[in-house]
Amino acid sequence: MSEELRVSSIETRGVPGKRRYAMVIDTRRCIGCMACQVACKAEYDTPLGVNRTWVPYKVTGKYPNVKKHFLPRLCNHCDDPPCVRNCPVEATFKVDDGGFVLQRYERCIGCRSCMAACPYNARFMLPSHRTYTPITNVVDKCTFCFHRVTQNLVPACVQTCVGRARVFGDLNDPNSEVSYLVAHNPTQVLRPEQGTKPHVFYIGADRNHTEYGRDVYRRIEVMESERAAWKKHFDL
Amino acid sequence: MGEYLVFHDVAWHATYAIYFFVIGIVAGLSFLSYASWHLPALRPLREKSAYVSFALLVVGGLLLIADLSQPMRFLNMLNPAYLNFSSPLAWGALNLVAYGIASVLYLLMMLWKKDEKNGKMLALVTALLALGLPIYTGFDLTVHQHRPVWNTPVIPLLFVALAFSTGSAVGALMSANNAEAQQVLRQFMLWSAGAVVVILIAIMGTTSYGGSAEELTFMLMTSGTMGLLFVGVGFLAGSLAPVVMLFAPTGKSISVILVSALLILLGSAAVRYVILMAPQQVQTLF
Repeated sequence: MSEELRVSSIETRGVPGKRRYAMVIDTRRCIGCMACQVACKAEYDTPLGVNRTWVPYKVTGKYPNVKKHFLPRLCNHCDDPPCVRNCPVEATFKVDDGGFVLQRYERCIGCRSCMAACPYNARFMLPSHRTYTPITNVVDKCTFCFHRVTQNLVPACVQTCVGRARVFGDLNDPNSEVSYLVAHNPTQVLRPEQGTKPHVFYIGADRNHTEYGRDVYRRIEVMESERAAWKKHFDL
Repeated sequence: MGEYLVFHDVAWHATYAIYFFVIGIVAGLSFLSYASWHLPALRPLREKSAYVSFALLVVGGLLLIADLSQPMRFLNMLNPAYLNFSSPLAWGALNLVAYGIASVLYLLMMLWKKDEKNGKMLALVTALLALGLPIYTGFDLTVHQHRPVWNTPVIPLLFVALAFSTGSAVGALMSANNAEAQQVLRQFMLWSAGAVVVILIAIMGTTSYGGSAEELTFMLMTSGTMGLLFVGVGFLAGSLAPVVMLFAPTGKSISVILVSALLILLGSAAVRYVILMAPQQVQTLF
């Protein structure tokens, strides 16, 4: 006897006739070259200090037996996104066919409630001055490269990944590579307890890499110069 | 070892804490103005409270608008085609506007027309809408399910209690020479500050039993600079000390009431600042 998974009205995973894009990130293949971050910056002219995708790392073990773990990060394009619920003016919304969570820049008032609502820190405020685009002082985030995907291209970060650590596709299509990877590998999502149903799946990321770091409380001295430079840049 | 060399900014900065503080006083003073229709001792505070509360509402509104990165787009919040009713901010915007209209009508009815009957009714409407202000600001935080401390259902209650205590404290300072009003306000401050103490203990007790994010937030709130602000200024000096001072046999003296009022205001500002900022810290390195 089988029981169908009950889904809320906003969810599109498993809904017939609709696409549900997702990304699978195989952390075993990530070498931390940051090419994805650079490709994303080039694609969108994302300003200094903020990122649509970023690759943080953790070092585990004790010298000389140490290992560096990378955890590429981006907007999780949740099936039940708290940022969409929280935006007072519907500036952020979910595309029904595809599941992209996008931002209407012309409507955003800059209250940052979506930033507060996102459990993944995927949203950021654009600075007031930019070189090539007038889009400033509004919240921005990864779009899963909506403009590329709608032209049958994969996102810039996926295109550039040298180790093929990032794979993108339609989860509702049983023949897609992401469906295969999710079906045949143990995968993890970030903060599953929040009920956001993220659509970025990780292979090989355990809780040591996905949990909050202790450095929040015990700040490491060597990082303070970096932090000070960052704060100075944003005038904080 | 150094983890995560990517930093993130907190979503809401200290301006929001100042706004919470101001809007709490706005609500508290509206309660006093309404209470003055039932408690003769508070009668001299009726107009004063309404005036100050309206002036602070303007200050609070300007703070809120200035904090937006697109200030002129605050009008989007009032556009029915844009409003998203699943967001507490949308309800808050409507509540603020409704409260502003009710306050103006109340002031007009009370001062120009001297209409006692409608004045009393409008005082009730204004006070009920004022009750929505600390409740909505509390929900602004509570709905964020991944934030420790914010995501507790008692935050709106804490903000209501803080509104009562700070409103009464400002009322006490405004009626420094009125012994009769001071005694009523002493009772208000005593019980509302007592409620704040109980709620803060409940919040911290629950937080200390949580997962890693809660544990880290608890550590941040009870140690270092934030520990001094939260435990020292917010809890001990700004909440517990006024309760003890007002409850003591000397608590009826005007000087004790005024000192307690100042401590309550100081403590309330510190509590709001730490409750806003501390739960955002754990995410800055995630």
